[in-house]
Amino acid sequence: MTFTLAYALTGLFWLGAALLSLGLVRRAALWRQGRAAPVALGRLITIPKRYFVDLHHVVARDPFIAKAHVAVAGGAVAVLALAALNYGLMLYLPALDALMLLAALLMLAGAMLVRARRKAPPARLSKGAWNRLPKSLLLFSIGGALAALLALSGDAFGTAAQGLALLALAGLALGGAELALGIGLGGPMKHAVAGLLHLAFHPRQDRFSGDKRSTDLKPLDLAAKDYGVEKPSDFAWNRLLSFDACVQCGKCEAACPAYAAGQPLNPKKLIQDMVTGMAAGSGPAYAGNPHPGQAGKVRQGDPHQPIVGGLLDPETLWSCTTCRACVEECPMLIEHVDTVVSLRRHVTLTRGEVPGKGREALANLRDTDTVGGYPLAARYHWAIDLNVPVLLPGEHTDWLLMAGEGAFDMRYQRALRALVKVLKAAGLKVAVLGEVEPDCGDLARRLGDEATFQQLAGKMMDTLGRYRFNRIVTPDPHLFHCLKNEYPVLGGRYDVEHHSQVLADLLERGAVPLKADAAPLPATTYHDPCYLGRYNGETDAPRRVFKGIGIKVVEMERSGRKGRCCGWGGGASFTDIPGERRIPDMRMDDIRATGAEQVAVACPNCTAMLEGVVGPRPEVVELAELVAARLAV
Amino acid sequence: MSTPMLKVAVLVAPAIHPVSGRPCTHPADSAALALGLKLAGSSERLTVLYAGAAADEALAGYLAQGASCVTVLPTAEDADIAPLLAAQIADAELVLCGTRAGGGQGSALLPYQLAEELEAPLLPDALSVAIKGGSVEIEQFLPKGQRRSLAAALPVVVTVHERATPALPYSHARKEAGKVRRLMPVAAKAAEWRYEPGGRRARPLVAASRASGHERMLGAIAADDGKTTGLVVKQGDPVEKAQVLLDYLRDHQLVDF
Repeated sequence: MTFTLAYALTGLFWLGAALLSLGLVRRAALWRQGRAAPVALGRLITIPKRYFVDLHHVVARDPFIAKAHVAVAGGAVAVLALAALNYGLMLYLPALDALMLLAALLMLAGAMLVRARRKAPPARLSKGAWNRLPKSLLLFSIGGALAALLALSGDAFGTAAQGLALLALAGLALGGAELALGIGLGGPMKHAVAGLLHLAFHPRQDRFSGDKRSTDLKPLDLAAKDYGVEKPSDFAWNRLLSFDACVQCGKCEAACPAYAAGQPLNPKKLIQDMVTGMAAGSGPAYAGNPHPGQAGKVRQGDPHQPIVGGLLDPETLWSCTTCRACVEECPMLIEHVDTVVSLRRHVTLTRGEVPGKGREALANLRDTDTVGGYPLAARYHWAIDLNVPVLLPGEHTDWLLMAGEGAFDMRYQRALRALVKVLKAAGLKVAVLGEVEPDCGDLARRLGDEATFQQLAGKMMDTLGRYRFNRIVTPDPHLFHCLKNEYPVLGGRYDVEHHSQVLADLLERGAVPLKADAAPLPATTYHDPCYLGRYNGETDAPRRVFKGIGIKVVEMERSGRKGRCCGWGGGASFTDIPGERRIPDMRMDDIRATGAEQVAVACPNCTAMLEGVVGPRPEVVELAELVAARLAV
Repeated sequence: MSTPMLKVAVLVAPAIHPVSGRPCTHPADSAALALGLKLAGSSERLTVLYAGAAADEALAGYLAQGASCVTVLPTAEDADIAPLLAAQIADAELVLCGTRAGGGQGSALLPYQLAEELEAPLLPDALSVAIKGGSVEIEQFLPKGQRRSLAAALPVVVTVHERATPALPYSHARKEAGKVRRLMPVAAKAAEWRYEPGGRRARPLVAASRASGHERMLGAIAADDGKTTGLVVKQGDPVEKAQVLLDYLRDHQLVDF
């Protein structure tokens, strides 16, 4: 009897392995519709490290599901590995059966936890086939435990053994089918196989290399007429693979500011739309939240048909603020922002159909090198009485101050003036470029106009090449990000710091003469700019500045790397897609919830967005203004 | 409704950007191009033509806005281009150009000279162009929201107002795919321009009243003392108060019901 069960298990194992392999071949054919990508097969050996370090680091933010997943996945992998050894290779060793029993019980415990989470699931989770998953896991773990028990027990169960053996086989077969067939049929368990392969062949390999954050957009080869992604088959094959890794946990949906504002973008649905396009069909199996305002719309996808207009409304694409909150939250390390920008690039470069004021802003950038269509000579008008030298070719300065587009905004000019005063009080040798400073091209790039970005970047690098300076300081995180992370690949390498970093260092060195402040300081909270916090991981320097001037910050619930966007990013304030609420209003509610009387910002665009919130609200102050107020003049 | 086989010529010229001084597209020429694309239906029946001394890059904006090929007639900067252009587009049934160009020789007089050369009627300042059989009907732009319908038999020269139709959005791919085709330079006689110093015409504004802004404001708004022209209504229910407002608006013909 025991031996019959053993043979049956061997048969079942190899049947499952064969089905899984066939399914993988079938799914891989879908991925291979994509463009070639330069990733080596040898990357497969990086999977364990990337899984246990990079991926688990994200999953561990939710300790409950992390424990459940460790138990389920760990147990399942152990059961499968032991089954492969003991039954696949027909060793039939009782010791391995004992281990398999332990592994199956571990998996059972995990499956119970998963089931408990599914009892009252948060709104962000997808239902449908995903609700079936805990049952499949339970069946498999019970089947595995029973099979191991029967193998160990010999004849102890007597006549009941046959019935129990059938039950065990049924459990293993039904539960195992979820995994064996999942990848081929696109079921929930495809995430296990696709997810592991995605870790190895991730489109951003530099994400896993040490402390550098890989947040820069990659340049397009415009000369080769690469105009971004039109059809699913225009994605690189490993991007298509990455879409299949999605577990529809909806962490991205919960973090997305556009989704919360009721704009027609749900990042989870966006990724599933890409899966629908890749696999052709209308995505009827999707049982999660739709793009806001688009419930019940059935859209047909095809790997060789345009995505925008078919699968996706253009408004979905233009709602994204590129704030990377989704990418930060994604446990499967999917790159939503890359996907959005690739699609935007095609729309902008081939048809130019950028909504709202985006088209005007891009025309201004092409014609005047400024977003607002201002004369370049006006960029440093605010500094006219501050005696800031304009750097001339041949001269040298320690610090080059680059004001960016915020220099044309009268509100932000106050912050710039404060910054100059502080830097001068600290005795830094600062100069500006004056009327030769063009725009860095950030907005053009986020709106998908890679041609204008590359043209502006070239102009900026040419200009900077003509001047001699040690370091650049800028209060604009967008300019900071471009110079620091996106210019190097184009050939521009600069030592650039955000003004919060410079101010923090100066304060810590005691280089800024501060007056003793007797007046009690109003309660202050700090809004992290996405392009400083999430894009550059710099959440510490602004807080060091507050410490340096004796301000205790009341933190918002969503701050630091989890900070919520102000609504400007990615040109969203230009495309201005209507929603039910405005993103800056929601952020101001976050600020009000702390009870703070003022909110400190460290970005010209956050300043503009939060200053634009109407009605009674906390005061918006710039970091440099807070420091300047404490200057002993 | 466009006649299927209409041959259309669009005249374009680079403008000078008012802020940066760089060459850019002119909105009226862009509108003419957008209309031309619509009316010609296909690029074979559409000729986009420029005569002057600008560099190819200055015309790139029109390529990005949908012209698949811009034909350039290289001339000296001060050449009289009307006869040259007329020779190039003699077979066009419909000639479109901006009401005025942003620079170069495409001055306000060019369409009239061109119409004279082609012996065709000129329909100026079109906001919309419709082809009806063998004739063209346009809606003409006039100041203060006034409009007028004009019609003429083909062939015809139409100057297009910049608000006629939005230009096609700027597309980098179209710019790269489009071509600038240079014809052989033609010797042309210089335009007969007579230059003379412009007299400065100072027209001082005379204020209707010498009172300060604050005083005039006080005179216009209502106060309780009854000395001013305004009226403060404090009596009566909201309906009566609203009636006063409505009467005021009707008196001043601000509402018509």
